[in-house]
Parts: sequence; structure tokens; C-alpha cells
Amino acid sequence: MKTGLTAFVMIWWATVSVAHQLLVFAFVEDGTVIVETKFSTGKIPVSGDVRVLDAQNAVLMTLELQSDGTVQFPLDPALSAQGLLIEVATGEGHDNYWILTPDDIARATKETQ
Amino acid sequence: MKKTLVAAAALTAVTGTAALAHYGMIIPSDSMVSQEDGRSVELTLSFSHPFELDGMVLETPVSFNVTHEGETSDLLGDLQAATVMDEPGFMLDYPLDRPGTYVFAMEPQPYWEPVEDSFIIHYTKTYVSAFGDDEGWDAELGLRTEIVPMSKPFGLWDGNVFQGVVKLEGAPVPNAEVEVEYYNEDGSATAPSELMITQTVKADENGVFTYAAPSSGWWGFAALNTADETMEFEGEAKAVELGAVIWVHFEDWTGE
Repeated sequence: MKTGLTAFVMIWWATVSVAHQLLVFAFVEDGTVIVETKFSTGKIPVSGDVRVLDAQNAVLMTLELQSDGTVQFPLDPALSAQGLLIEVATGEGHDNYWILTPDDIARATKETQ
Repeated sequence: MKKTLVAAAALTAVTGTAALAHYGMIIPSDSMVSQEDGRSVELTLSFSHPFELDGMVLETPVSFNVTHEGETSDLLGDLQAATVMDEPGFMLDYPLDRPGTYVFAMEPQPYWEPVEDSFIIHYTKTYVSAFGDDEGWDAELGLRTEIVPMSKPFGLWDGNVFQGVVKLEGAPVPNAEVEVEYYNEDGSATAPSELMITQTVKADENGVFTYAAPSSGWWGFAALNTADETMEFEGEAKAVELGAVIWVHFEDWTGE
């Protein structure tokens, strides 16, 4: 399971690692995935496109970044079992990602139990 | 002849001790933890002569904590006993829950140094960036004495300069003396002169010092001052050396 996610990440990393100015972080809280973004300057992006992919690189959903630089969506345990890749694009060269690993999800789920 | 032998013996005694600068140490497994690296950082706490890899006993510190996003948390109870450079020290695997800069700081117990006829207290810290976010890299902790970074204390190439302000009781220390020493982790570095084991730079009138590291690795900066108060040893009042120590990692230059 982990190997699959790693390979998936490596392929993705090879194409997108040049983008670096946008910081993306995501975590799970009470069954909700919360995505936070900011630029390395500390400024918050006011808009952007968010794609959520599973470990097979299938797009599960697309979302709009809120004006406070965050977005939330409910965690689907079945679709996220092998982890989630959350891509955020706010403009030319300003995109980045966060990987919610199965461990991240399991740890967050355990903490709320 | 006799005079030469006496002089040689005296010189040996002096160099045998003068080259050995004491350093409190907090060495993380990584100074810049990316999401691909994992979700925690391993910290090793020790007291040593880092160039010579000469370990000393690190007693349980007075305090050990982490500051992140302006909030300080006590980690003293989480420390695990460890052997570092063949002497007792401590380790901790610390989970990184969020991005940003984590500042780990230790106040050790006063160490009685008979050769210097004084106590030594080295307030020691290091900065770790998590998940690409460097916010908080210049955090001042308000320690009794500390080096406040003016250069980001991680993400430096070898050959870059590190700059910091030496502070004592919250105020810059003009002309402060700062000792610099390399953590010779694999023992590969040799010094052509003992003067080069511990190098010394002086701060300017604003307490600002600058040092360019000649190679990648961990470099320790220790600004030493004497406390106003004394501590008693065997019924006698002794001086107390206050050290502001920061550990900074320099990275290999990857260009041609």
C-alpha cells in the first residue's frame, strides 16, 4: 500500500517539483480534511483550484479555494484508504501539493476516537 | 634542557585544555524536514567538545522545550536517556504536527569546570523548519542569553555566512566574543593548528557577529559572558559563565 503511494508521489513529484512558492498543508480533524495554503511570503492566496486525487491518480473531486486560503471536504474512509494527494494551483508557477498519507489519516482518526 | 622540558610540559598542559571548548548540543536528524521526510524529527542532546568528539556527561537539563508559532511546550519529561559520544545524553523523537519553524531549547544544569575555576551554563538551541515553511526562523525565545539569528538558521549553503545578535538579559552585547566549532561527526576533519578547532569572532557594537562556514555540516556558535552573580563551590563563591549556543546546519553546494 505504502509502496504504491510512494511510486505515485514520485511520478507526480517529477513533474511538479519546480513549483515552490505556494505552501500547502492538509490535516484531518473530526472527519473533515482541512487544506491550508499560503505563499512563502506569508500572504494568503485569495483564490485557486484544488484537486483531490487518490493513490491511483484518479481525481476524486475539484474544489475552489476559499478567500482565506483554505478549503474543507469530508473524509471518505473508503476512497482515502491509500492516502490522498491534494493539489492546489493559484496561478502560473504558484502550485504545490500535500500528501495525506494513510498514517496521517489513521493518526488523526485515532486522535478523535 | 631542564627549562625546555618544563616549558614543553606547561605548553602541553595549556594546549591540552585550551583547545577544548565545551558545547551544549541539540542536533536534529534534519534541519529542514519536508513532507517526504516524514512527520517527526529526532533530536540528540549532549554536552561535548564537538570537534574532537569528546563527550561529557549531560545531566538531566533544568529545562527542555520547543517553541512553535509563539507557543512554548515543555518536553523535559519526554526525553529518553541515550549514549552520545560514549557519555550520557538524551534523545527525543518529536512529532511535527504543522508546518513552520520549531525552536528547541535546553537549559542545562550548571557544570562545574575545575580547570576554569567557574561554573558553565550553556543555553542551547536549534531551529528546525517543517514542511517547507520557514515562518518563525528569526524567533527570539527570551532566554537569559541567546543568539538571535539574522541569517535563516537553516537552508544555508556551505560558504554562506551566518549572522546573529548576541543577547544577554535581553540586550545586545557589544563586542561579544563568539566561539565557533564544527561538529566533526564522522571524525574526518583535522585541524592544522589547535587554534582552528575552536575559532573566535567578535561581535560589533550592536552585538552582531558574522561567520562563513567553510564546509557543510553542523556548526556551533557559543557567545560567552560572565554572569553578575556567583555560585558556591566548596564554600567559595565562583564565577558563572553564561553561554548562548546555537547550532546551525550548512548544506553542500550542489553546483559545479
